[in-house]
Amino acid sequence: MNAMNSLRLPVVAVATLGIAAALAGCVSDPEPTQMARTNLNTAPADLQLLCATATATSTGVEATKVLPLRSRQLDSTTYQVDLDAGGGMMSCIVDADGNVKSVQPA
Amino acid sequence: MTDQRKYDNASGRRRAPVGTGKSRIIAGLLAAGVGLAAFAAIAAETQIFDPQTRQWVDYDRKKALKYWSRHQQVPEAFRRQIVDFRTAEAPGTIIIDGNMHYLYLVQPGHKAIRYGIGVGREGFGWAGIVRVGRTAEWPTWTPPAEMVERDPKARPWANGMPGGPDNPLGARALYLYEGDRDTIYRIHGTPEPWTIGLNVSSGCIRMNNDDIIDLHSRIEVGAKVIVLMQGAALYKGV
Repeated sequence: MNAMNSLRLPVVAVATLGIAAALAGCVSDPEPTQMARTNLNTAPADLQLLCATATATSTGVEATKVLPLRSRQLDSTTYQVDLDAGGGMMSCIVDADGNVKSVQPA
Repeated sequence: MTDQRKYDNASGRRRAPVGTGKSRIIAGLLAAGVGLAAFAAIAAETQIFDPQTRQWVDYDRKKALKYWSRHQQVPEAFRRQIVDFRTAEAPGTIIIDGNMHYLYLVQPGHKAIRYGIGVGREGFGWAGIVRVGRTAEWPTWTPPAEMVERDPKARPWANGMPGGPDNPLGARALYLYEGDRDTIYRIHGTPEPWTIGLNVSSGCIRMNNDDIIDLHSRIEVGAKVIVLMQGAALYKGV
């Protein structure tokens, strides 16, 4: 029995260390080029512009009259972008892969 | 040190924040529709990731100067680099993300050159679609009359400060126009490179001198410039 316990302790310790190491490995630092942010969590500029292009297409408003005004992250992969389209407010949903999900009046 | 924050337009004219007149009314109506959050959001500041503590920390003027003193360059995120950029905008278009403090120059193949920038402090941000009307190398800077009266250091430059390393406009200036009209906003260099990544100007877009020289060498007069800034006043014409 004592021999079993003395065998188990190192096994438990190794397993614990392994789990800790694995967990530590799960939390990765951002790439050096991504080590800046603001707490606004706005959509990346290219996604905002994809929404502007989609809005111009769907509304028929000239592209030079469509401008993203606000954006926010809805979840880990989706953003909402509010746009001025020739004076009218529109709302666009776009995912992180650049797929525009919807464009509709705000 | 020149108080560049107050005088960052090449004409040297002191001016009110954009948002006067029609554009301010529009912005006000928009704000009324979404509450105060949109305008409060403008006050959000830059954060950088500290690899030592693995924490995001506020990046203000003091910390930026400290970082520059240690490294003689800005944090890596604000250095010039090629990035993926999905857009239908033509190569040569300039996209400014005022919130993130990035300027993108669109390249072929869904790529862009990304530069770090400094932008307008709270109340001086703006958004709109303009174009590069003209450019200048080592532009002259003329302080506004009220500055000349108030600041003895500005008096010698009342008739214009010649271009040079201490000139607030830095090595190059891209003058932003709406149609044929000068907006008084510029994309320009700076003798204060540590301010990249911060909200420090009166509405102009500042870059370090190496970057503005690089950008100037790549763009054409007439290039489209799209300025994105959360909750900012709209520039007229959009």
